[in-house]
Amino acid sequence: MESWVWLLLWGTVVGLDLVSVGQVMFARPLVAGTVAGMIVGDPIAGGTVGVVLELFALDVMPVGAVRYPDYGIGAVAAAATAAGAPGALGTGVAVCVGLGVAYLGEVGIRMVRSRNTEDMRRNRAALEEGDESVVIATHLRGLLRDTLRSVAVTAAGLLLAAAAYRWSPVTVRGAVLVTIVLVGAAIGAAAAGGMRLSGRGLALRWFGLGVAAGVVVVVML
Amino acid sequence: MSVVLVRVDDRLIHGQIVVGWVQALGVKRIVLVDDAVSGNEWERELYTLSVPPGLQVEFASVAEATEMMAEWMQGPDRTIVLVGNVEAIVELCNGTDQIEKVNVGGLHDATGRTQRLPYVYLSDDEAAGLRALGENGVEVTAQDVPTARPVALRGFT
Amino acid sequence: MRTLFRTWLRTLVVQASWNYDRMIGVGSAYASIPLLRGLPKERHREAMARAAQFFNAHPYMAGMEVGAVARAEYEGLPDEQIRRMRHALIGPLGSVGDRLIWAGVLPAAVGVGLTVTVLASPLAGVLCFLVLYNLAHFAVRGWALRAGWRGGHSVARELTARGVQIGLKLLGPIAAFSVGLALPVVADWLASDFQTRLRFSIASIAVLGVALSRWIVPSFGGLRFGLVAAAFGLLAGWLW
Repeated sequence: MESWVWLLLWGTVVGLDLVSVGQVMFARPLVAGTVAGMIVGDPIAGGTVGVVLELFALDVMPVGAVRYPDYGIGAVAAAATAAGAPGALGTGVAVCVGLGVAYLGEVGIRMVRSRNTEDMRRNRAALEEGDESVVIATHLRGLLRDTLRSVAVTAAGLLLAAAAYRWSPVTVRGAVLVTIVLVGAAIGAAAAGGMRLSGRGLALRWFGLGVAAGVVVVVML
Repeated sequence: MSVVLVRVDDRLIHGQIVVGWVQALGVKRIVLVDDAVSGNEWERELYTLSVPPGLQVEFASVAEATEMMAEWMQGPDRTIVLVGNVEAIVELCNGTDQIEKVNVGGLHDATGRTQRLPYVYLSDDEAAGLRALGENGVEVTAQDVPTARPVALRGFT
Repeated sequence: MRTLFRTWLRTLVVQASWNYDRMIGVGSAYASIPLLRGLPKERHREAMARAAQFFNAHPYMAGMEVGAVARAEYEGLPDEQIRRMRHALIGPLGSVGDRLIWAGVLPAAVGVGLTVTVLASPLAGVLCFLVLYNLAHFAVRGWALRAGWRGGHSVARELTARGVQIGLKLLGPIAAFSVGLALPVVADWLASDFQTRLRFSIASIAVLGVALSRWIVPSFGGLRFGLVAAAFGLLAGWLW
């Protein structure tokens, strides 16, 4: 089978994993991007964009139901963009595609949730009466909506990837610049996320200790 | 002042509180103001068990909270006062002049309520109650987590 | 036992009909179906209606509510008591799950995955991450439903389980350390393609990002910062 079919399939699995099915974390960009990279035969490029998007994803606090960027499908599209391009050249533009698709996925989730809400309101009477068949039907319709969202967002992402690959909007120097800006932004987002995660107490000291240990690892290697 | 947040949230202590606000504001104590919870041993145990070590949880009825508010404001521990419904926060604000800001965190669907924000459902009476607080000079805003933008009162009532 | 397993399988999709009115209420009713089937007809209808009401929890902990409420239904507890019990579980199951998983196991495993990706290979990093994370994930899911079913109305006691309490105490610092460790390692790896001058630019943008997120506009979020950075980068790259 053509690799884009596998990518579409993988993107759908990743999109469903984010909220609806299992949440075994296929939807983490590190996983989604690396596997997508393997599908297109470039695991290093996929892993690299996966790492950059993973840093962005560390900034998300998944306790608020309002914002839910879909970095997983974003990483699939980004890996498809980056595959084959040499190192730093591809990363920046690919991450741009990934961020755009992540945002698209977030908009899609809000749409699915609104449709689900309307569905529940239409079936309010039956749900209040405890009609089992209506519970099953409304629940499975929700699952169907998220499946459609995942397919649609992945398809849009792959089209965007193909377009970016074919008509790269920037020169070689420009591509390096974009990579620098986005790698910097990603590190900043992850550092802010890590600090927020650690709060102000004991954990913050452990965060500092971790950074120090990381610096030691870098210097030693 | 040591009460750093006065919040209305029908889920009371949950993830947005212990992961979001407690971390962001460096909170040491949560006072849970709810007549039903403070009178129910099973529920008190449940909420006590679900908070991180080092975070103190206390329970109070609305009447007790009205009396204690001034003391909490001056106390040494950074505190979140968490109220379970609009009726209680209106009663609390009317009983004491200590509260300057109220955060509406999450009020969910129930009979008679309509959706105002993704996470705020209010009946007309509740909306009127919050507006009245606003007219009395209490700054009422809706905000679920510290990283979200606060929504002004007229945006959801 | 098979009934409990079928219920557990359904808790895997508990969030599939997420909606603003009932959140995962209908999902929790859907998951309860195999477990509630043994109730007499009238009670079964009432139980379904209660189960489909507004409910929210950490998705991995939702099984605890499903199990505890089903047990209470079989014990014939009155309507009002079950409703209050269900409502009272929302906050605690959210706060325990969010701290245990979203602020604990997940960032801890992500940090390990990133570090291994850099030091070994992306595939090794991904495998490490998935195995570590899902060992904890499935342990929590399996325990939650069984503890709920065992505990019924006194399910609160189950939260005192040693594993949960130890996890709550240790995972915060572990996650903080793990993410802290990964940051310089990953930053160095990503910057290694560039000359010193360009690395300095990367660091400046990172500092700007932290400042923006911590002090200037905390509500902006990483994605929006990234999109703005991408727009500037693309524009500059196109003009340059």
